[in-house]
Amino acid sequence: MRALLFSDKLAFSEMMASLLRDGFDIDILAFPDHAADLTGYGAKEIKGMEKEDYAADSLADFIAGMSKDYDYIFIGATVLGREAATMLSALTGNVMKSEITKIEISGGKARTSRLYYGGKTVLEEESDAKIFTVSQGLVEPSRTAASSKTTKVVNQKTSKITVGEKIEKPSTSVDITKASVIVSIGRGIGKKEGIEKIKELATLLHGELAGSRPICSDYHWLEVERQVGLSGKTVSPKIYMAIGISGQIQHVAGMRNSKTVIAINNDKTAPIFQECDYGIVGDLYSVVPLLINAIKQTGQS
Amino acid sequence: MPYNIIVCVKQIADEVRIDPSTNEPVISNPQYRMEDLSKNAVEEAVRIKEKYGGKITALMFCSDSSTPVMKEALAMGADEGIIITGYKENSPDFSAAVLAEKIKSLQYDIVIAGYASADSYTAQIPARLSKLLGVPLLGSAIKVDISGKKIDILREADDLDIKESADMPAVISVTQETNQPRLPLLANIIASARKPLKVEATAVQYKETSKIISDKAQQSSRKRIIYEDINKGVQEITKVLKQEVAV
Ligand SMILES: Cc1cc2nc3c(=O)[nH]c(=O)nc-3n(C[C@H](O)[C@H](O)[C@H](O)COP(=O)(O)OP(=O)(O)OC[C@H]3O[C@@H](n4cnc5c(N)ncnc54)[C@H](O)[C@@H]3O)c2cc1C
Repeated sequence: MRALLFSDKLAFSEMMASLLRDGFDIDILAFPDHAADLTGYGAKEIKGMEKEDYAADSLADFIAGMSKDYDYIFIGATVLGREAATMLSALTGNVMKSEITKIEISGGKARTSRLYYGGKTVLEEESDAKIFTVSQGLVEPSRTAASSKTTKVVNQKTSKITVGEKIEKPSTSVDITKASVIVSIGRGIGKKEGIEKIKELATLLHGELAGSRPICSDYHWLEVERQVGLSGKTVSPKIYMAIGISGQIQHVAGMRNSKTVIAINNDKTAPIFQECDYGIVGDLYSVVPLLINAIKQTGQS
Repeated sequence: MPYNIIVCVKQIADEVRIDPSTNEPVISNPQYRMEDLSKNAVEEAVRIKEKYGGKITALMFCSDSSTPVMKEALAMGADEGIIITGYKENSPDFSAAVLAEKIKSLQYDIVIAGYASADSYTAQIPARLSKLLGVPLLGSAIKVDISGKKIDILREADDLDIKESADMPAVISVTQETNQPRLPLLANIIASARKPLKVEATAVQYKETSKIISDKAQQSSRKRIIYEDINKGVQEITKVLKQEVAV
């Protein structure tokens, strides 16, 4: 079974290759800057594009032209990838499954899993799907001994949209999925300065800071890489502290596999109290300093 | 210059209850509410109308013709509503085909939808609409500027923000960062009762493309020890932290 992989993000391509190379003969279509880095992840061939393309429609047109050589197409579930994969499905008429977390092909059918109801359930399906968007962080990327052939492909499809300036957001190299302690904040923090006190707690616990979608994607008080949830990262630390986070299902989807969950929230009815092991009902600005003091004291004893 | 705007609205179950004996969701006769990003879509449509004038048609594809969610869209500022029945769960290709079929019969400059929905999260509808209608997609727009027939957006694309533009007619998808959806005023809720509302069944043929093998809740067996006494809570949680982490 031949599969073509694509993502506009290097880490996604590395992860997908590591996940899929045992079950499929894979080729990777890559942006020019990524092609060299992707050899050694088990692909037969790396097809380096002549230029980047951030327009989903022209990208989909281009991939559609190559798709007859492949049984399956896997695209990383980024903002661009989701749109391009969907357009590819519309163009080719091939069935598509979104945000898959597992795949197995048997008897020509694809058995896939993905989160449903905002992450409340896992939906397992069987379909004729040929196109998939793949959720992030499913396996740790790893190299193989075999190297890949690298070729150049010329992509010159036209788009209906004009892509202008790209503005990079503040970023961090911290990978919260590897942290064993995560101190995560939500809108309850109220003001950006409030993060300082939380940082102190995180440092004491040798943990990393993380946040809900409003904190990372809307206010940009923390980098987007620190977002936990359905549209962010899936984490499984030993300790997950949710501070001023309501615990909406889309957030819980990303932290459900944590070993111990501790919640601080001033609303007794907040859903996070259903999803925690230990909780304190109270104002985080009173609780966190007390907690810091208590940890410091026990540390000395 | 006034625009004809179509906004796609989805209704979702307000709360999905899990049956503890089967671990499966209970979805008979749910209470419906407007899907989160549909609210952002309606809000953006209303803001465009407030600035440039025009008419907003709210379009909802759903399983039954229950109207409270559509009434909310009208109360937020949509001018008329069209409810199409015949919805099938977990079939974004079908939903997009039904919506596109209707949209083609209407006059439009802009179609607005959420980039994904809070329950099924396939993120397929806007891109499918773009293809089925043959118009550009300006996706994940967190800022929308319009001049004449040209739309400029700032696109939220993971670790990048990207400036993009296209000419109308176009599909725009929005995120929760795009705006803060308004709560309808009481006067508008009352007035919405007089706005035109049509209900029709879809004529588009449904074709099943996948079979559900299982749909089970993710296990969560948390201890749920909640302290309302802050000092006691701090004391106990410090013990837990000490056990788990070397502090
Ligand atoms: C398609 C889709 C994808 C999404 N993906 C994600 C995702 O990946 N990650 C994510 O997080 N969300 C995601 N969301 C959003 C999610 O639905 C919630 O809106 C979001 O998680 C809420 O963030 P929050 O808990 O920080 O804010 P809120 O819901 O506003 O909660 C703030 C909490 O803080 C408490 N609080 C306030 N003041 C204090 C105080 N002084 N002390 C203590 N507590 C206080 C309040 O009681 C409240 O419970 C997604 C939504 C959709 C529709």
